[in-house]
Amino acid sequence: NNVNPPRPIGIHSQNSASIQIQTTKLIAQLLATSPRASQAEARPTQQNTMNVAGPARSRPAPLSDGKKRRGHADYGVGGRADAADVDMYSDVPFFELSLDEFEEYALARLKVLRKIEEMKTRNLPHETFRTQLDASIKANLVVSASPDSKRKFDLIESKKLDVASHFILRAAYCRSEDLRRWFLTQECHLFRHRLETAASGNDGALRDFLARNEFDLDRVSRSEKERLRDKLLSVPGAPNPVEYGSAEYYRVPFVQALRLVSRRECYVERGNAYVPLARIVSIVEAKFRLSLSKSLTSAAGVFGQVAHDEAARIGPLLQSMNTQHTGPGAPNAVLGADGEALLTAANVDDLAKQSMPLCMQQLHVGLKRDHKLKHQGRLQYGLFVKGAGMSLEEHTLFFQREFTKIMTGEQFNKGYSYSIRHMHGKEGKRANYTPYSCMKIIHGNPPQSAAEHHGCPYKHYDDSNLSALLTKLNIGNSGERDAIMAHKRDGNFQLACAKHFEVMHPGAAGVEGVKLD
Amino acid sequence: FPRREFSMTIEPTPGNEVYIRYQSFLSQEELTSAIMKRRPTKIDIGAVFNYPPKDNKSLPSGKLQTQERELVFDIDLTDYDGVRNCGCEGAKICPRCWTFMGMAMEVMDEGLRQDFGFEHVAWFYSGRRGVHCWVCDDGARKLTNEARSAVATYFEVNLGSDKNKGFRLSSPLHPMLSRAYKILDPQFAACVLPEEGHGLLATPASWTKLLLTLPEAALSVAKKMGERWGSTKDRSTPQEKWRELKAALMSFIGKGSNAKKVPKTLSNTDRIRIEQWPVETVFKYTYPRLDINVSKMQNHLLKSPFCVHPKTGRVCVPIEVDDFQTFDPFRVPTLAQLMRELDEYEVERGDKDEAVAYDWQKTSLKEPFEQFQKKFLVPLMNEERRMQREERERKAAIVGDF
Repeated sequence: NNVNPPRPIGIHSQNSASIQIQTTKLIAQLLATSPRASQAEARPTQQNTMNVAGPARSRPAPLSDGKKRRGHADYGVGGRADAADVDMYSDVPFFELSLDEFEEYALARLKVLRKIEEMKTRNLPHETFRTQLDASIKANLVVSASPDSKRKFDLIESKKLDVASHFILRAAYCRSEDLRRWFLTQECHLFRHRLETAASGNDGALRDFLARNEFDLDRVSRSEKERLRDKLLSVPGAPNPVEYGSAEYYRVPFVQALRLVSRRECYVERGNAYVPLARIVSIVEAKFRLSLSKSLTSAAGVFGQVAHDEAARIGPLLQSMNTQHTGPGAPNAVLGADGEALLTAANVDDLAKQSMPLCMQQLHVGLKRDHKLKHQGRLQYGLFVKGAGMSLEEHTLFFQREFTKIMTGEQFNKGYSYSIRHMHGKEGKRANYTPYSCMKIIHGNPPQSAAEHHGCPYKHYDDSNLSALLTKLNIGNSGERDAIMAHKRDGNFQLACAKHFEVMHPGAAGVEGVKLD
Repeated sequence: FPRREFSMTIEPTPGNEVYIRYQSFLSQEELTSAIMKRRPTKIDIGAVFNYPPKDNKSLPSGKLQTQERELVFDIDLTDYDGVRNCGCEGAKICPRCWTFMGMAMEVMDEGLRQDFGFEHVAWFYSGRRGVHCWVCDDGARKLTNEARSAVATYFEVNLGSDKNKGFRLSSPLHPMLSRAYKILDPQFAACVLPEEGHGLLATPASWTKLLLTLPEAALSVAKKMGERWGSTKDRSTPQEKWRELKAALMSFIGKGSNAKKVPKTLSNTDRIRIEQWPVETVFKYTYPRLDINVSKMQNHLLKSPFCVHPKTGRVCVPIEVDDFQTFDPFRVPTLAQLMRELDEYEVERGDKDEAVAYDWQKTSLKEPFEQFQKKFLVPLMNEERRMQREERERKAAIVGDF
């Protein structure tokens, strides 16, 4: 589908053909990798050939007399981001990375994006969100400067990390609608955060950013501001009359400020909206969202080809990026007494695939797909994860994250969080419900419709469905799958399940204390 | 044209309505013959799609998408039932409540032109109890659903339902609302307040009721007005009463020429409430009540201009905003009337007059249509031609072909 989108106003226009080429070029560039051993000597070249998206801001003059140069961020106390921090990521970068760096950078950014998602699910107050996000960015996406540098952070390396990681993740997250949507959402939150930081500073960072990115905003002249004085002052959020003289206003076509227009939060005349600098943030974010969304969709078109071409190197990494475990080091992990991470909302996805019995895996998949579970399913799976060590908070977070994809937070709280608390013994008679035993699952209520995922697959699925499922999940080789099927046919559901475990955990038989029967 | 959707409602047997969508035609002739064949009671116009809508079934689902469509608005007197005091409700209208339409049209027309820069704005009588607006600028036609929604919401003022007390406007007023107030206040005074209107300030009972809606902080003003108007010496007209009341309120909060000292106990919130009360009251009665759903989607089907309303027989003729006072919905040409006029024309002039190319020229539709043509269609056509010419020149410049 090569329909050229209308030229995005003010953004470096890239029609879809050029994006395709660029994305391929990206992969090509990123492929000019140096083996790990020569990383050290590769570094200097990397710095020289770097062509970071968005012109690098000229280095501020070295501080003299310890006085802060007015208007420039200093990475000492305060840690305000440099203007170069806000990036539209419109130009594909052009530099070399080692394979390790490729993966490292991607995971670093992924941590930040997942942190954003988690914080949003928790509905934090805006200030808390921003402080914690700053911390996460600092921990993951900012490179410390060498010890002899005057600054705390290495601007160029940080920039490179930020841009490269964005594009790598863009490549990894373009291939399906769900992934694109997720990536777009988190990136927009991140972008908006950085924009707000730039806008709130007094150092003209936002203005510089707008200028660099050729936004189609006309600055409202002094004379016109005078003419419109009364009108502009009558709009909600207007500066007070004293500040009005120094306030900056921009004129944009009204279609670029729809949110403001619809709420009558800006003055509109002859098809143009008059927007103060602070409100520009919303407009810019909207542009960013639009352009990223388009790029993702275009990239999706070439992804198949690229993954195929790169099957040996980065293809598999890109494919599996979204299931990468971002580690027990991730801030949201709860550590048990022996330092081992317990089951959390963050790691349950990976563990489901790897370690859960088939019945629970099916429930997990059903939950992720339908964004809800019916009553039996909630009980069976809920008690299971509780038994596996998931705390009440993580359990609630996990379910809430899924359910709120099809309902509001309030609806979830009203309808479901009580029963989760009940399961953990925090309500009602405060009983400590144990997870269902195999007997109960096998002989209990069978699933009645395609919307129900509880029960025991070995018992409740018919042969062909079970066989197809095992094949699809790549459980072992065909011989092993036959063995499982044989157990099922004999009615030995638990033996089938044990065989499944054996296949998924080849080393298990050798572990002391683990009995497979 | 071939990709424009039309829909028709036909009544093959009385009481049995059949609604046919996704009609499209290659030419005017085809449209005409379809209408003559099917004899619809209602004809609606939809959007221009990427393929002829009539090929709907043969296209894979989701392939048929809207491309452009005029920005439209629909204002119905039924939505004013809560404030109509002339005895009309639902589909019934009378000259007294018809005035609300004029007020709504003026506010919207002004806003669409001044604020959004639209030029080709056409208003039509909907045939029974309201008006429709068609904005035909190229930019308007290309607006996304989101943009349409934003424009409609920009104009929308939530006037509160009958149940809850009403609504509050913040201060200062957005320039659009101040302008709307300037337009509506005089008409409110002229058409809503008097006995011949909706009698809001016409009788002791009605003005007592109105004074009760004043904020508590202005109780003293309410009392004073009530007493003054109640006295036998008072001969003021409703309009005069309104002016008096507004002046009293302004001086009460310390503004205006006769400003007295502001009572110390008057909080800022109260001040604002009192200041906005007249605006809120005027808006409650006269501010345009839009049906947002009509404007939001490109694919919304709206009754075609110049068609006949099935229940009233009236033709949906254009209305000039400037000329609203002279428009009388009760004297709009009806189908029966047109038929009669055609027959009479035949009898008087026969079929030979060559100056008359179209049948409508023989009827009372002549004038409305010619006006419409002159004031709206011709400028629109010129604009289209100009744009196409510019496009051609631009392309030629690129190719270097002069």
